[in-house]
Amino acid sequence: MRQVQTAVLERDTTFDADFATEPYEVAWAGEARWFVHTLSASGEDVAVRLVTQISPDGLTWCDLDGHEHVVTGPGLVTWPVERFGQWLRLRGTVTGGNPSAKLRIYLTAKS
Amino acid sequence: MTMTERPDLAAELRAAILSADPRLSKFSPLRRILTYDDFNSGAHGWTELLGNYNGNGDLSTVDDHMRDFRPPQLSNCSFFDIGSHGAMTGSYALKLATRPYEGHTATAIRRLTMSGRGLLQIEAYFTFKAEATVDGSAGDQFGDVTWDGNLHPSEAQFGCFTVATDLCGDGGLRYHTVARYLNTTLDNTLSRQWVYPTVPEPTPREHLEGKVKLAYGADFTAPNPEDWQPFGEPQELCYNEVPTKVNWHYLRWVIDTGARRSVELQVNDRVMDMSSIPVPPYEERYDSLENLLNFYFSVRTHSSVRNFLFLDSVLISTEW
Repeated sequence: MRQVQTAVLERDTTFDADFATEPYEVAWAGEARWFVHTLSASGEDVAVRLVTQISPDGLTWCDLDGHEHVVTGPGLVTWPVERFGQWLRLRGTVTGGNPSAKLRIYLTAKS
Repeated sequence: MTMTERPDLAAELRAAILSADPRLSKFSPLRRILTYDDFNSGAHGWTELLGNYNGNGDLSTVDDHMRDFRPPQLSNCSFFDIGSHGAMTGSYALKLATRPYEGHTATAIRRLTMSGRGLLQIEAYFTFKAEATVDGSAGDQFGDVTWDGNLHPSEAQFGCFTVATDLCGDGGLRYHTVARYLNTTLDNTLSRQWVYPTVPEPTPREHLEGKVKLAYGADFTAPNPEDWQPFGEPQELCYNEVPTKVNWHYLRWVIDTGARRSVELQVNDRVMDMSSIPVPPYEERYDSLENLLNFYFSVRTHSSVRNFLFLDSVLISTEW
């Protein structure tokens, strides 16, 4: 049976500035998927742009690919992640007038 | 040969079987092995602790100090300098990681129930590290440690780790047994002292009743530093100089759920008597927790550096 692990990296956290999630080790996993649940968002033209980042040591990071996933309001956004290194995290860029977004960020990983 | 001729034959056979099993021979289990976890096949039920929430699943109702204990990770102990260190048993260990926020705590809890009363034991092989700093911001001094080629400031960046229970039964009587290794005091001075709390852990119900309101980063086990008392003598563990070398330590902790007391704690070659340590129960009775048997490990940083507790393997056994 394959191993699966779901981690809640941010739990109903309100973001009003750029951020990065805490490092999460997935050396054992062959595939992963982000689920970003936006519970609420406010501000003029609010947008949160999310990019998957990888790291060999949990200290130094780079983008995995050129894909930006944009959140503008409540709902669930998801995308798969493949061929990553030891660690995964998300970096988020928050834009708009007085922007604010409450996010629940799940990382699901599978062997 | 008969059982009459060898009255201890069953014990001898059991000892032989245990000693011949490389997974178990490094442990000294009581009569019944309840759980054995080596983390090469998942997290084995060790999960994040979260405070309680209301009937609508509204997580904003979770206490601030219990809303961010971080999900445990399966780690092969990789570091920036040497790559994959690996665990003691196979490749993977369970890793608890705090945020880089002074006072932040990470937890892993295992939820069981009791099918009897009596001696209960948890054994583990563990190690503890502060996260390496590689961006040039750290310097060669932290707390009371200055790098001298042997002692490394990273060691003073590690706060404390804790092993504890949450136990309840006999009509809702709830209590915690707790053992904490206080590596540094809150002002980052090496302490290396085992401590226990003299008060029960604040609970979400007490917050709901208006009795307590703790801030994010508060010490959830016992928030007032004055409510911790030492036991045993200071014990130096094997941090091994730098933040990227991992040496595994043995821990064995015995509790008596009949007497509702700790019995003794062994860490490597040190055995500490805990039988006289008070274990104050909650004054009020709790519903919905009959025969509750939870163990948790936690790690708390006293600096703005992430702190890690690694568990190679854990074995819980009972005499009931």
